[in-house]
Amino acid sequence: MAIPLITSLIMSEWNPALDFVISISVSAIVGCFLMTVGRKTRRGEVQVDWKYGYIIAALSWIMLMFLCSIPYLLSGHTRSLLDGCFDVMSGFTTTGLVLTQDLDHISTGLNMWRHMLTFIGGQGMVVLALSFLGKHIGGAYKMYCGEGKDVKLLPNVKNTARSIWKISMIYLLVGTLALWICGMSIGLSPLPAFFHGLFMFESAWSTGGFAPNTQNIMYYHSFSFEIITIILFVLGSLNFGLHYAIWQGKKREIIKNIEVQSFFITSFLISAFAVLKLSQTGVYTNAVSSFRRVVYNVLSAHTTTGFGSIYARQFANEWGDFGILLMVIAMLIGGSACSTAGGFKGLRVGIVFKGIVSDIKKILSPERNIRVEKYHHIKDYVLDDPTVKASALIIVCYMVLFAITTLLGTFYGYPLADSAFEAASVSGNVGLSIGVTAASMPAVMKIQYILAMYLGRLEFISVFALFGFVIGGVKKLCVKH
Amino acid sequence: MCKALKAMIITALLSALFVISAGAVEVTDINSLINEAEAFNGQSVTIEGEALGEVLERGEYAWVNISDGTNAIGIWMKAEDAESIGYFGDYKHIGDTLRISGIFSNNCTEHGGDVDIHCASMSIEKAGYSVKNAVSQTKTVYAAVLLCLALAMALIYFRSVKRRKGSSNN
Repeated sequence: MAIPLITSLIMSEWNPALDFVISISVSAIVGCFLMTVGRKTRRGEVQVDWKYGYIIAALSWIMLMFLCSIPYLLSGHTRSLLDGCFDVMSGFTTTGLVLTQDLDHISTGLNMWRHMLTFIGGQGMVVLALSFLGKHIGGAYKMYCGEGKDVKLLPNVKNTARSIWKISMIYLLVGTLALWICGMSIGLSPLPAFFHGLFMFESAWSTGGFAPNTQNIMYYHSFSFEIITIILFVLGSLNFGLHYAIWQGKKREIIKNIEVQSFFITSFLISAFAVLKLSQTGVYTNAVSSFRRVVYNVLSAHTTTGFGSIYARQFANEWGDFGILLMVIAMLIGGSACSTAGGFKGLRVGIVFKGIVSDIKKILSPERNIRVEKYHHIKDYVLDDPTVKASALIIVCYMVLFAITTLLGTFYGYPLADSAFEAASVSGNVGLSIGVTAASMPAVMKIQYILAMYLGRLEFISVFALFGFVIGGVKKLCVKH
Repeated sequence: MCKALKAMIITALLSALFVISAGAVEVTDINSLINEAEAFNGQSVTIEGEALGEVLERGEYAWVNISDGTNAIGIWMKAEDAESIGYFGDYKHIGDTLRISGIFSNNCTEHGGDVDIHCASMSIEKAGYSVKNAVSQTKTVYAAVLLCLALAMALIYFRSVKRRKGSSNN
């Protein structure tokens, strides 16, 4: 919170500066209390089991959600604590749905906070803590995995976390500069252009979808600005391992990697079908508008970014059921594993697809033949049944979450297509809206959406471990009394 | 006779009012334009709302984004018209309230499928102003108390860590 505080002071925004001082103080008090409670773990005197690693990761997200919603609440731009928590979870999980009111009049400090949340959330809060805090943290790798990241760029988990931040910081400099220059060329003054560039970079790279204005990407009315954001969010949706491999000179990895192949095939197919359908129905009849209004939104959905180049209700009124269904599929598939993106990930889609093909081949080939299928993801892996099963299991979990969230939407009277669109958006941490998400929607739906964003981002296991731990504790208490 | 005269005067006044109101321009809210985009496409519309952010100049023309509280939309207008706008809405300002009449496009071919209004006429209905955000005294007191408390707790914690380190080294 130091950066938004400094921003507020530089911009002479005194009330937001006080909001951040209050928030920093409350966070520091809670932090001191927790450090005192967990001093043995910090000193490495207590062994952190896998289950505790997952539970710590899951709990830290909930704790941070409450602490980080304080500046929202104090700003007066949210109607309730629940709305503040919704926006913080939306930021942390890089979803990008917004309940904050009157975005066009919020302070630069609060805008800095919103976009920092999404940027930090994209890399992972545990990754941030591992990179910059303490020399030794007990159970570091277990907490790192608990946050839905399992790639090891370097043998040491702390160095891996630092590498993730290094990659992001280099892109931050280049991306912000590109958007800053572009911003000035489309008519923004230098200082606002810098902040717009920085905020939009943070949002694009972390596949977040927040923007400093109500109109989102439509505020800029610029093709060049849209092109730069496309490049940034596609890069952000790729695996950190892939970025690291390319930086190490393994350029062929882009072509060989199963996730990249999966992403480009599904993106192409969904974009082509969407363009075809919307040109047939006469909604977008020329190439430029098809690219800017259809391909842009499909890529934004597929990378789970959530920048929208059309209004929310245009999806419902103009895209039709086929268009909405394509968007739902794109949002659910999402980006790459161990990236800033959400969804059930291209890697898992690729593995399950290859698994199905492999099974068909096995059935068709003579029984004496022993086939060993492989897939390439940074290095070659054997495609065995447990790998396919693990991937399929996560996909099933996402589908169940999507179904429950859709069901809840229809229960509250929203049309099926609208409910499904919004459910896919929250489950896949996308952030595109068809108009369901609003401050006036039922509180139960807000809570379900927060839960869906949280489960989707942590990829279920950590949250299930936390649920199991809480239920186990309650059971023990019941037995005792 | 007197009654008949009164009735005639009232009728004339009412008729005049009716004519005036019929001639008044109907203001459409932005959300209605978007929700019924197909019906409004290519039609002349009038909207009223606050100018936001800043002018995005593109040669002789410029984009001005305006919001009426229901939604926001981009207005494509002459740069010289845009220059007459005094205030744009942001944290420190309430922007000028503009009345815009122009052609609404659901899928503007000139601007890559944008939903926009090409301005034919613009007037400033209400001038904007700078917002004076007075520093909240309650917030100042809370901030000071909580900051002192946090500093005290951090000091106690780090002292105890240092003491424990010292005793374990001995």
